Amino acid sequence: MHKFWKIFIKGFVSENPIFVLAMSLCPALAVTTSAANAITMGLSVMFVITANNVVVSFTRKLINPKVRIPIYITSIATIVTVVQLLLQAFLPLLYRELDVYLALIVVFAIILARAEVFASKNSVIPSFFDGLGMGFGFTVAMLIIGIIRELLGNGTVFGYEILWSSYPSVLVMILPPGGFILIGYLVGATKILNAYLEKRS
Amino acid sequence: MQNDHENKNSSIFKITLNLTAVCLVSGIIIAIVYYLTLATIERRQLEIRNSTMKNLVPNADNFIPAEKKTDWFKAVKKGELIAYIVPSESKGYGGIIKLLTAITPDGKVLNFSILDSKETPGLGDRASKEPFRSQFIGKSAENMIVTKDPGNKNDIQAISGATITSRAVTLGVKKAIIQINDFLQKAK
Repeated sequence: MHKFWKIFIKGFVSENPIFVLAMSLCPALAVTTSAANAITMGLSVMFVITANNVVVSFTRKLINPKVRIPIYITSIATIVTVVQLLLQAFLPLLYRELDVYLALIVVFAIILARAEVFASKNSVIPSFFDGLGMGFGFTVAMLIIGIIRELLGNGTVFGYEILWSSYPSVLVMILPPGGFILIGYLVGATKILNAYLEKRS
Repeated sequence: MQNDHENKNSSIFKITLNLTAVCLVSGIIIAIVYYLTLATIERRQLEIRNSTMKNLVPNADNFIPAEKKTDWFKAVKKGELIAYIVPSESKGYGGIIKLLTAITPDGKVLNFSILDSKETPGLGDRASKEPFRSQFIGKSAENMIVTKDPGNKNDIQAISGATITSRAVTLGVKKAIIQINDFLQKAK
């Protein structure tokens, strides 16, 4: 169990997809203008990455290594399409919010990277935990960026007013440049945290 | 292991077969899910459309499709026409914005709703919220102009930082009113 915990937790801090591996920065910028969008996107990615890791790991002996990349993409695209159809049928309002971004999940570098680096070389259960951990790290990172950007850019968090009502919105935080600046600071903070954790152990 | 694998399986035929099989399986999975969810999705979309129209014209008790015009609906209260509901489109900052506007028979905006847009979250998507939205109520086509002058109460105040979206939404609503005006003129 300890082994699986280690696989899971590495996606959280030491190999955080956004802050350490610097992957999928594009969606991290595009979707994190509000905390609610950020967390829904994070959870969708978490689901797709875990499901895809399981599928890739399950079929890793059947797949010809020469065509593995197209096959991984096909697998991711299938999972995303199924998620889209299910959301449309059972959570249509949420689907309307996420419509544009859901299709983008197909080309998220982080999902393909985990299939290639981990799931294609490990058995099903570790791959499951790897996907879950990476997805969790991604979701937490998205949520942190989303909360800070929404708070500074709009004075709200999850749509609730936090700052005083005459708060002058810092427009740049909602726009992509503000997102980049913030991610830069957060990458720096994660570096310091990781260095500290390493020194202590 | 990698080498061994390649010797056995690297003929172009086997590679093609491998990829084809994967695509076939994923195609079948998607087809099954599509087939199973189709009815539910259609029903949900109808529900959403009805509830959107109900939000636009809350005091209507029935919505009937307008004659001769597809996609147009009439909001009716006790057999009396209170509004036309008309879809329209215009080009915003991030792509096409689809609108649904409720217009009274004398050509004034009753309410509008944005069905689909790709405007910047947290900025352009404020067009569907207050205080921008309520500015339209009771206004007719000639007031559908975006202004940045805070003293001008007749026209539509732009959302700060999202002028393009404000203009696009205003134009979309204007198009809907003009369509209605043309339609009513012809009917006379």
